[in-house]
Amino acid sequence: ILADSESAVILRLRGPLDLKCLLDSIDVVPMQKAISRTFEALRLQVKSESCVLAVCNSPVLIWPNKSVFEEISPDAPCEDIFQFIQTDDQETSGNRSAKKKNKKRVSASVINLSLMMEATKPGPVSAPILTRTVQKSHLLCATLPMDCAIWSSCSDTIKDGCERLMKALTRQLFEMEKVTLQCMKGTTLLIPEPLHFLLPEPNGLVTVVFPSGVPDKELEAQRQELHGQFELPDNKPFFRRANTYHFPNEPYKDGYLRNPHTVLTHPTLDNGKVYLVQGIYSYHHYMQDRMDDNGWGCAYRSLQTICSWFQQQGYVERGVPSHKEIQQALVEVGDKQASFVGSRQWIGSIEVQAVLNHLLGVTSKIMFVSQGSELASKGRELANHFMTEGTPVMIGGGVLAHTILGIAWSETTGEIRYLILDPHYTGAEDLPVITEKGWCGWKGPDFWDQTAYYNLCLPQRPRVI
Amino acid sequence: MAAADGHMESSCSSVKEDPPARGKHRTVALKLASLHSTFNRMKMGICKFCLNSYLLLFSIGNFLLQTLLAKLLHCSAELLVLCLHVSRCTLPKDDPQVVCGRKDLFLALAGLFSMGRSYIVEDDVEGYLSRLCSQLAGPVTGLLIGQSMVQRDFVVMATRTPQNNESSDGGKSVDKEWVSEHARQVSRMLPGGLSVLGVFLISESDAKETLTTLRQLVFSVENLISSERLWTPADDDVTDCVTLHVNPKTRKTVCRTFDVKDPKSMAKPADWKYQSGVCSSWATVSCCLSVDLMVPLPENMAFTRNMGDCLKGELKVWAQQIERGVCLIEGRKLPEDSELKAGQKKNVRQTISAQLLITPDVQTAADVVQRCGGCVSVSGAIHSRAFLHSNKPKAKLAEKLLKRDIVSTVATRVQMLLEEPQTQNEENKGRKQTEQFCLPRRVFCPVKSTGPLSVCDYQFSDEGLSEMTDRFKEMLDMDAAEEDLDATQEMIAEVIESEVTEGVAMATAVALLALAASIVYLSDV
Repeated sequence: ILADSESAVILRLRGPLDLKCLLDSIDVVPMQKAISRTFEALRLQVKSESCVLAVCNSPVLIWPNKSVFEEISPDAPCEDIFQFIQTDDQETSGNRSAKKKNKKRVSASVINLSLMMEATKPGPVSAPILTRTVQKSHLLCATLPMDCAIWSSCSDTIKDGCERLMKALTRQLFEMEKVTLQCMKGTTLLIPEPLHFLLPEPNGLVTVVFPSGVPDKELEAQRQELHGQFELPDNKPFFRRANTYHFPNEPYKDGYLRNPHTVLTHPTLDNGKVYLVQGIYSYHHYMQDRMDDNGWGCAYRSLQTICSWFQQQGYVERGVPSHKEIQQALVEVGDKQASFVGSRQWIGSIEVQAVLNHLLGVTSKIMFVSQGSELASKGRELANHFMTEGTPVMIGGGVLAHTILGIAWSETTGEIRYLILDPHYTGAEDLPVITEKGWCGWKGPDFWDQTAYYNLCLPQRPRVI
Repeated sequence: MAAADGHMESSCSSVKEDPPARGKHRTVALKLASLHSTFNRMKMGICKFCLNSYLLLFSIGNFLLQTLLAKLLHCSAELLVLCLHVSRCTLPKDDPQVVCGRKDLFLALAGLFSMGRSYIVEDDVEGYLSRLCSQLAGPVTGLLIGQSMVQRDFVVMATRTPQNNESSDGGKSVDKEWVSEHARQVSRMLPGGLSVLGVFLISESDAKETLTTLRQLVFSVENLISSERLWTPADDDVTDCVTLHVNPKTRKTVCRTFDVKDPKSMAKPADWKYQSGVCSSWATVSCCLSVDLMVPLPENMAFTRNMGDCLKGELKVWAQQIERGVCLIEGRKLPEDSELKAGQKKNVRQTISAQLLITPDVQTAADVVQRCGGCVSVSGAIHSRAFLHSNKPKAKLAEKLLKRDIVSTVATRVQMLLEEPQTQNEENKGRKQTEQFCLPRRVFCPVKSTGPLSVCDYQFSDEGLSEMTDRFKEMLDMDAAEEDLDATQEMIAEVIESEVTEGVAMATAVALLALAASIVYLSDV
């Protein structure tokens, strides 16, 4: 995905900051002034000598405004911090052998830092004063969830990295102030929330502050502005909540594997190019979610994989539908009788198209081949699909359904390979098993039943931001 | 009628007393036995000589000690203590059951048996108690102050309960509330690491009466002190409190402990040993800490009581923030079990500097902006200090004691301020009103002229150092001179109310040195 991912280190600083002030008046202007003053005080606080950055799971402590570095030298490269970090031994399933098998580094490494304040200071000190203000007023009390991330290359020293982090922190406070004031309505205040997005080069990792709790559809104007600012195409979402960057080694809470195909080595064909699904999907297959659909649910699972793609790219907010929900949708559109719900009847690409339309509002193209051997000639169409739409493709025929995640195709020789995600797998979310046994793998044209006819459902990406 | 066939050896270890002769115990046992008409039952009794409880098993013919052990394994520690007392009896050797079981029994008991606490006491305390014996008539109570560790305990000073001029009988009887109130106030004067370990009683009353009195006192004292605490006790804290009974005529002392966590706890024997230099070998850990609290006042005005409650609530939250904070010793985050550099020399003063890093609580209130009737803020800094007996003190302990002192010193001062009459002014004229009060500053007084230990008190801006020396005398029976006091760690802030800007009244505090009248002796603490 990224050019320099091999040597990159992400420094991520997180920590809460108290936003607290007494509001004499809740008229707009005085309230804005009070809030601005409080933000200014916070900016002074993070510039003060009591600001401390603590590297998580390590004894490394940095006072960035005093240039005090505990345990490490400020001129050392950022990567050196890894030596001090003690991680738990538990790794997400499959990572161990994936590392052995695949030499290329999938993504950058993250150094997590915590923002803390030193409460102690040199003495002698001035004893505390108690101030009591009695007045009918309002108290503003919130916690700002500071979250800054910067991309650092291998030549960056720890000192540089920290300076950039602190600048990002101050900048974030300014942005949070802006968002807070913009979204203020009477006495309702929304807490600003920083989100990270990985944009295509040259932008890279970008942090945007959104008001928390506001759904995506109400933030379209902000997204328009951002698309303009970063010169992004206006028909593809980059700033929806689902598009937030998932930091490497952060586990997904739902337990599904994401993009198992990325650990594979892609085939090289003469004058061939690889065209792949763009974005993130989850692998759905037989027996997941305690649903025993062995033998009949393969198309449902392929459909679930496709739905997961739309959710994770931010096109829809609804979660992946269950078998029942899929069946219910087909009843609702009149495609099936009510008795269909709860049954173990197969579905095909037409039904997949119908459900995608009904539940997700997504249109799909259907491609038909009268025999499996014809699939080899569909290289150009499939290549175009992955280039322009980039969505996973459901293919059903004979008695099986599969998901096509990409193709390797040579325009000159016509050679073709298909990257297949197989929903017939019944085991656990074990990446090495899935990739080694070919449940996610590259297949040749003989993978298809040469005499059976096939229908392909090619979901179209909505042109929205 | 068969009796417990035993010679009960004394396992109490009050140094001043000779171990009672075996024969006496036997007589007692027989006497008790004669009072009971039932057999094969376990009975509790009190030995008149060593004042220890013991377990007496009546059985025809022999001790069924194995049965005893089986039953006692389900019992509390106190009973196990008593069991060993019993098991030291000579057993009839020809009893097959007993003979083969005895070794196992002893080993099992040795493993389960808790030998009782061991108090190492500063020599001066002996002299002090002795003087109290000769000076005063009527019962004398007082407090014992020191540090309780898992392995052993150190007592550094004792202080008698001050005269109660309002007492109904002129101080002839022991006033539980008065003793407890004294303990509560003394507790506020102890920096981290030092606490009220228990009470002493000088009286000629008999054993049973003093035991009851001491028991009542120690529970009452502990309950009152712990009710003010804002920090949560740890699981590995020692919950035993000591009681010392001194007979003024014979100078005999008896030392016992009670587990104050268990309302039904029985007295356990404990060692009481005098030693010189107990006050010298301590390490000091200290820091100065900024305090910045802000809490809203509720809309309807019910004043000081509400302000006190609001503050207490906020202090509890702040106390948790402190407890969660990351503590650095000498600039580094040390592993919990690491030992601090403890000098072996007793006279070398050791001060360990500590730093505390904190993160704010995450607010979870639904509404970011809430109505209120104003707010109270506490802003400034404090000097915190804790003492550890430097027998290889652990970093974890230093952190725990320092954090507790930080929480206590702020809570104490707020409490003291709330108790002052001027803060209880009720007037509210309906318009905006801002008042500022200075919290008292911390002043230290050394326990001994040499040695690092000190006690402390709090000085309001309208008090002089002479008032402090008076209080040290009254509360802790210490003869301190003004020159001995260390008032350099904190300065009383003077309040200048600057322009009241919209939103928050900013008070600029200008630090002043203590009142010029007092001569401050700069000690090198």
